Amino acid sequence: MEMQPFYQVLDPFLIRFYRLTGYPWADFLIGTLVLASLALIIGEVTISLAFLAVKKRSDRVTEESRRYQNLSLDALKAGDKQAYRAANKLANDAFGKSFFMQIALSAAFLWPIFFALAWMDYRFSGLEFSLPFTGYSLGYIGVFILLYAAAYLIFKRVIYKLPYFRRIKAILDTYCSRAGELKSIADPLPPGQKPGKT
Amino acid sequence: MRNKSLLIIGLLATLAVVATLVLASPADAGKLEEAIAKTPQGIGKGLIDPGAKPGFMGIPGAPKTFWLFYILWGMWVGWIFSSVGAFGGIMAGVGHITVFGLADYGRAFKKTSPELNKLLTDSIRTSNQYLVGLSALISSVTYYRMGRLVLPLGLCLAGGGILGAYLIPVLTAGKIDLSMYIGYFGIVVFAVAFVLFYETTPKGQASKKAAKAAAQAFEAAHIKKTETDKAQMDEWARGVHVRHWGITKIVFTFYGSEFSFNPIWPILGGFVIAAISAFIGVGGGFLYVPFLTSVVGLPMFIVAGTSALAVLVSMITSIFTFMFIKSVPVDFLLIGTELVGIAIGSVLGPMTSKYIPDIWLKRLFVVLAVYVGVGYLTKGFLGYSVMPGM
Repeated sequence: MEMQPFYQVLDPFLIRFYRLTGYPWADFLIGTLVLASLALIIGEVTISLAFLAVKKRSDRVTEESRRYQNLSLDALKAGDKQAYRAANKLANDAFGKSFFMQIALSAAFLWPIFFALAWMDYRFSGLEFSLPFTGYSLGYIGVFILLYAAAYLIFKRVIYKLPYFRRIKAILDTYCSRAGELKSIADPLPPGQKPGKT
Repeated sequence: MRNKSLLIIGLLATLAVVATLVLASPADAGKLEEAIAKTPQGIGKGLIDPGAKPGFMGIPGAPKTFWLFYILWGMWVGWIFSSVGAFGGIMAGVGHITVFGLADYGRAFKKTSPELNKLLTDSIRTSNQYLVGLSALISSVTYYRMGRLVLPLGLCLAGGGILGAYLIPVLTAGKIDLSMYIGYFGIVVFAVAFVLFYETTPKGQASKKAAKAAAQAFEAAHIKKTETDKAQMDEWARGVHVRHWGITKIVFTFYGSEFSFNPIWPILGGFVIAAISAFIGVGGGFLYVPFLTSVVGLPMFIVAGTSALAVLVSMITSIFTFMFIKSVPVDFLLIGTELVGIAIGSVLGPMTSKYIPDIWLKRLFVVLAVYVGVGYLTKGFLGYSVMPGM
């Protein structure tokens, strides 16, 4: 299949990472790990920019959801089922808004994965790697997903050392502490006792 | 906190193992090439011209849209998602079916190459599911990390969900004619139109107002009430307490209030929602939350995390079954380009929605949904669309 012009420009750069050692297996793993890391970094940058752009509205919706959810739990405590149902309905509406905003926003994180897979399809379609002792084989998508997961776990440990991402983390941390203001089923429990252990 | 991190890592590891096992299954590779090879060659409808320029999924002569239109359509979908909600998933499907011309192209192979016709149907619904479902994965993980999960209920939902998300692709992949798919898609559009319409009616508005009034009345009364007796405090301290486990009824108290549900409902609900999602090609998250709050009557706190787990499990099952057990091909470049548009739309939505009242947005989409619904229903079941442009 003919490569798209966009990929014709990128291809010489990307394929270099697949020719580093001269050992096909190792080269494929190194190249795919680099590709997965690039997809991850670009995704992290674009979702952080998108997040900053919608932060104000997102804060408002989250606050509304938090308020009604806490109210519904207060109503439960008070044994007022009618008020509980009413607040639960409003919390549901607000949560729905926040849910779909997050869904749309997460596209900013995911899009590079598909561009990477589309390039791999040009280069490695039909390539299968035999898994030792199993009789099965793994295609390029499988290798990419596993290495993407590995890159994610590694990247999460180093990303916040960069000043820009440290700033994003500081904002996200304020969300976490605000999430802590959400009344939860664990609130009135004695220390060490978790909800669900019934 | 450490336990939660370990749980997340454990979940990711399990996911990776499952993915490896599923991805490593011997797939029926080259299904698309086989379907193309079986299609009669020539110039015209229902024929493949090997000399034509490759289009969708590299098929010679298939529709090929300029990349900017994928981004623009993605922006429209993202804008709807972030301002109206679930209708964005419908619009993602409309893009694949109508705007990019894939349905009309696929329908032409109904008699000449039924295999290619059905493969295109499966590819369209898997592409829809990628767009909506994968994004739902990210938000599901976020809600899970917030600790909003009741495992037994989530397992009931996920159990039914896995069955639905697995059975539908296995039973229907390669069997659903594009016309039929379009007809069923039309039915779902109508259902969404009905819900949107209800929310704009005086009755729908009144129920929201009544809920707001009841919540505010409680809020006012509650602020005055400060004393709580010790017995009640002890009751609250139990959190979620299951009082009765049964095949037909589970009774639990939550903050001292009693709730009961038949466990068959979450299993059945999970099954039906996952089945609809897999059949039409949507994420399903928009159905779990109202199902658990309205039908099962559970508190929002429990619902958020539980629905997240259900979406996560059923979505992974469905996409993997379509792609790796039934070898349905997808056009990664098309999905990636649309996701760029959705990302831009998700930023524009919050910026513009403050200028348009919520109710007018909903009214606009009711009209659009009825148009699309009638168009697809007639096109799917009568063979022609009564609505122009569909």
